[in-house]
Amino acid sequence: MKVSVLQENLAHGLGIVSRAVAPRTTLPVLANVLVATDEGRLRLSATNLEIGITCWIGAKISDEGSTTVPARTFADLVGTLPDGQVDMDLVVQTQTLHVRSGTSNTDIKCIDAQEFPPMPVPDLRDGVVFNVSDLREMIKQVVFAASSDEARPVLTGVLLTVEDNLVTMAAADGFRLSVRKAELSQGSAQSMKAIIPARALNELARIAGDGDDTVTMSLPPGRGQVIFRTDDVELTSQLIEGSFPDFEQIIPVMHNTRTVVSSAAFLKACKQAEIFARDGSHIARLNITPGDELQPGSVEISAQSEETGSSEAVVEATIEGQPVLIAFNVRYLREVLDVVGTPNVALETTAAAAPGLIRPMGDDGFLHVIMPMHLGG
Amino acid sequence: MPIQILPDEVASQIAAGEVVERPASVVKELVENALDACADHITITVEGAGQKLIEVADNGQGIPANQLSIALARHATSKLTSAEDLFNIRTLGFRGEALASIASVSRFSITSRIREEEAGARLLVEGGQMEGGPVPVGAPAGTVVRVEDLFYNVPARRKFLKTDTTERSQIDDFVTRYALAYPQVRFLLVQEGRTALQTTGSGNRREVLASLFNADIARQMLEVNAVYEDFRVFGFISPVGLTRANRRGITLFINGRWVQDISLSTALIQGYHSMLMVGRYPLAALFIELPPNKVDVNVHPTKTEVRFTDRDELFKGVQSAVRRALLAHSPVPAMGGQLRWTPTPPQTFSRRDGWQPPEMAPDTQIEAASVMPEYKHQPVLPAGNVPLLRLIGQVGTAYLVAEGPDGLYLIDQHAAHERILFEKFMAEHKQSVASQTLLDPVTLELEPGASRLLEENLPLMGRLGFEIEVFGPNAFKVRSVPVLLSGVDPGAAVRVVIEDFEEDEAPLQDQIEAKIIARVCKRAAVKAGQVLSQEEQRTLLSDLETCQSPRTCPHGRPTMIHLSIDLLERQFGRTGAR
Ligand SMILES: Nc1ncnc2c1ncn2[C@@H]1O[C@H](COP(=O)(O)OP(=O)(O)OP(=O)(O)O)[C@@H](O)[C@H]1O
Ligand SMILES: [Mg+2]
Repeated sequence: MKVSVLQENLAHGLGIVSRAVAPRTTLPVLANVLVATDEGRLRLSATNLEIGITCWIGAKISDEGSTTVPARTFADLVGTLPDGQVDMDLVVQTQTLHVRSGTSNTDIKCIDAQEFPPMPVPDLRDGVVFNVSDLREMIKQVVFAASSDEARPVLTGVLLTVEDNLVTMAAADGFRLSVRKAELSQGSAQSMKAIIPARALNELARIAGDGDDTVTMSLPPGRGQVIFRTDDVELTSQLIEGSFPDFEQIIPVMHNTRTVVSSAAFLKACKQAEIFARDGSHIARLNITPGDELQPGSVEISAQSEETGSSEAVVEATIEGQPVLIAFNVRYLREVLDVVGTPNVALETTAAAAPGLIRPMGDDGFLHVIMPMHLGG
Repeated sequence: MPIQILPDEVASQIAAGEVVERPASVVKELVENALDACADHITITVEGAGQKLIEVADNGQGIPANQLSIALARHATSKLTSAEDLFNIRTLGFRGEALASIASVSRFSITSRIREEEAGARLLVEGGQMEGGPVPVGAPAGTVVRVEDLFYNVPARRKFLKTDTTERSQIDDFVTRYALAYPQVRFLLVQEGRTALQTTGSGNRREVLASLFNADIARQMLEVNAVYEDFRVFGFISPVGLTRANRRGITLFINGRWVQDISLSTALIQGYHSMLMVGRYPLAALFIELPPNKVDVNVHPTKTEVRFTDRDELFKGVQSAVRRALLAHSPVPAMGGQLRWTPTPPQTFSRRDGWQPPEMAPDTQIEAASVMPEYKHQPVLPAGNVPLLRLIGQVGTAYLVAEGPDGLYLIDQHAAHERILFEKFMAEHKQSVASQTLLDPVTLELEPGASRLLEENLPLMGRLGFEIEVFGPNAFKVRSVPVLLSGVDPGAAVRVVIEDFEEDEAPLQDQIEAKIIARVCKRAAVKAGQVLSQEEQRTLLSDLETCQSPRTCPHGRPTMIHLSIDLLERQFGRTGAR
């Protein structure tokens, strides 16, 4: 293999794939990045067997070939190279990669590309096409609600379903549920359903480029994998097996009180409460009082802790229905308010012991259910 | 005082004491009689935890009216005729004293009809005194024994009874075990008006197994079946991953008789050789059949102890039957996702070629906080908090290394986290525990004994932040969990608590709460083998610094080992012993 690339492209590519490198592993080749010539471009790939990431960068190819380069060493080296051209030359016999740039000359010991796990080649024809910025928004609105408890694997994933041109993402950790629906610009012929690790979607959101680019998703049949592909980046992830809870049945259909508040003011009040609710329980109380002719409705958010003290903040609100006193994990409130994305948000509640439903005003595609807390007797 | 022959009444009460210790022993004797009478339908009704009423009705052979009074006499049995028979016993009863004993300590009635006769007969006995002779009554074929006001005339016995809960669960346990041993018999157990156990008599043991443990466990249990020259071992054992903290999940039957035999249960446990963690025991229901002349059941009046002529043979047989069953179902490690190919397993540190602690002189002070033999509610712990610690890192994914003003500290991450959770929980518990409602309530199915324990402790569970509802016989819905445990599988957390109830029969309230909290925290704490981020390691240390008793875990094990500068210097030969 003999290729020339631009330092900046190489550094960018390594930055993207490095997140899939498995640094501590008993399989040394997984700590390496696969470097291979691929139809006029240079392909960089890394995998930890759960997630695989590939990035293609422009290159001048003199001799085709491939090898795997220790990720850490390679990235550290490339970071120190000057702007401009980097020439790489592999001595196949010894698997030594000779890297030359400006006045620097280095040799890196590599591992034969044969040892690298084969990466699947997606069939993009019957994939689903997303707009990158839409997809990133959807991911942001659901992933945080996924569980990190490996004991219940399905909950560490996001359920993604595609039917006609409607795509739904849902995540739940046992105490809250986030559901985002969106329409696809190009309808899909095929219905799909898969539980994708939240971690993989987080990575995808990070590397998927921006703006008007598109991402194609495909589920190669029978492989238990999902592949996301943009022009120059590809992410492969193992799917989570199992059945996702029937979340539709958890979403409350009625409410007794509907509280509409400014998202920003509510978020600020929650952040303040969180400071005092931090140790132990994260419990914050919401005292929701409808207004009358004389004064507007209000939500009082309060929290207290033995050690730190207590806090109260009042947010003005438009309230329909009965007054209610309800407690929530304030971190859950904060996390959802962080992603609602509309100026106003509605909180629908039925009773102190019943779930609360949060909907951004003017955006029917998103909803979030939070289970209440209470103080034991 | 001159020597006197005891009056009959006193003598029979003394004898009764050996056979009838508690309500469950009455149930045992009566059920065994029904089984000896070849009944295939046995209904047991219990009220007032057995102190008010125990009734056992069967559809067996029955007793002819003219023999009813004899059946009640001491040493009257239809099951033995000569002394030789004693060494060839095929029935559960043979001593001929159960009915007499029970009748001497209760208000007793027996109604029985043999199939060939039209009418049956009833006999009433109060405190051992027959109230007239048998009177003819209409009755279905079979026998009904009613035992009311047990121990009404021996108040001292009543004092030794455990809580109603315990007495009831002993009855549950006993009946469930017999139902398992006799799957072709239909058992119905009604306690306090509630069906505690019902079997179909279909002959399917696994079906009954679900009531002894629960459906989930029953499904996982492995089948044992080994035939030897002289005996046979069959039944069910738990796979390696399914264990308990005590031996109570082990049930042994010899020739259809439930026995408690330490050497056989030891053989069973040894069959798991090295596959079990220390302090964990398997679940099992094992049945051993051997010629009646190879086992002596006449060891103790309760007939639950036995002696074997070829003990070693049997011991080896059980052990290898268990071993073979385990190997046949050798566990496939559970894996997340679908890996197309398997990486080699991670290497673990081997103690042998790893770092060796230097030989310590006896006077050197590795200052492990003194080990508490047992957890006490207000443990007296070595005084003193830990000093401010500077994190160095994690070793062997199990320990943190930190530096303090006086040397090096090795911290057990699991024990330390247990301590932190425990103190947080106890602190919160003093006010009121914050509890988080689940999105989707978790349904729990429990065995009857455990289910009763849980049901009676629901208020306590509520105080600990578990909101649990009864959801049908032996089923529960967990609606909310204490916030501190929101990271743990709710079902698993509740199970851990129940194991604790089982351990302690009647613990003091405040003790059991602390103990349960300790248990639950153990479950929730980070495990050895878990990689912690720098941030997590640092938080763990600073949380530990704020603990009141940072040096031991709630179960009394040390959380840290201190290697003082002084010790280090001596070990490296930098200074002589001071
Ligand atoms: N349910 C029953 N159906 C038919 N016969 C019964 C029943 N219960 C008791 N008997 C008869 O009464 C006799 C006395 O019963 P009892 O339980 O006192 O003694 P046992 O069963 O012979 O010996 P053990 O004291 O070891 O139980 C039995 O031998 C049996 O003949
Ligand atoms: Mg008997």
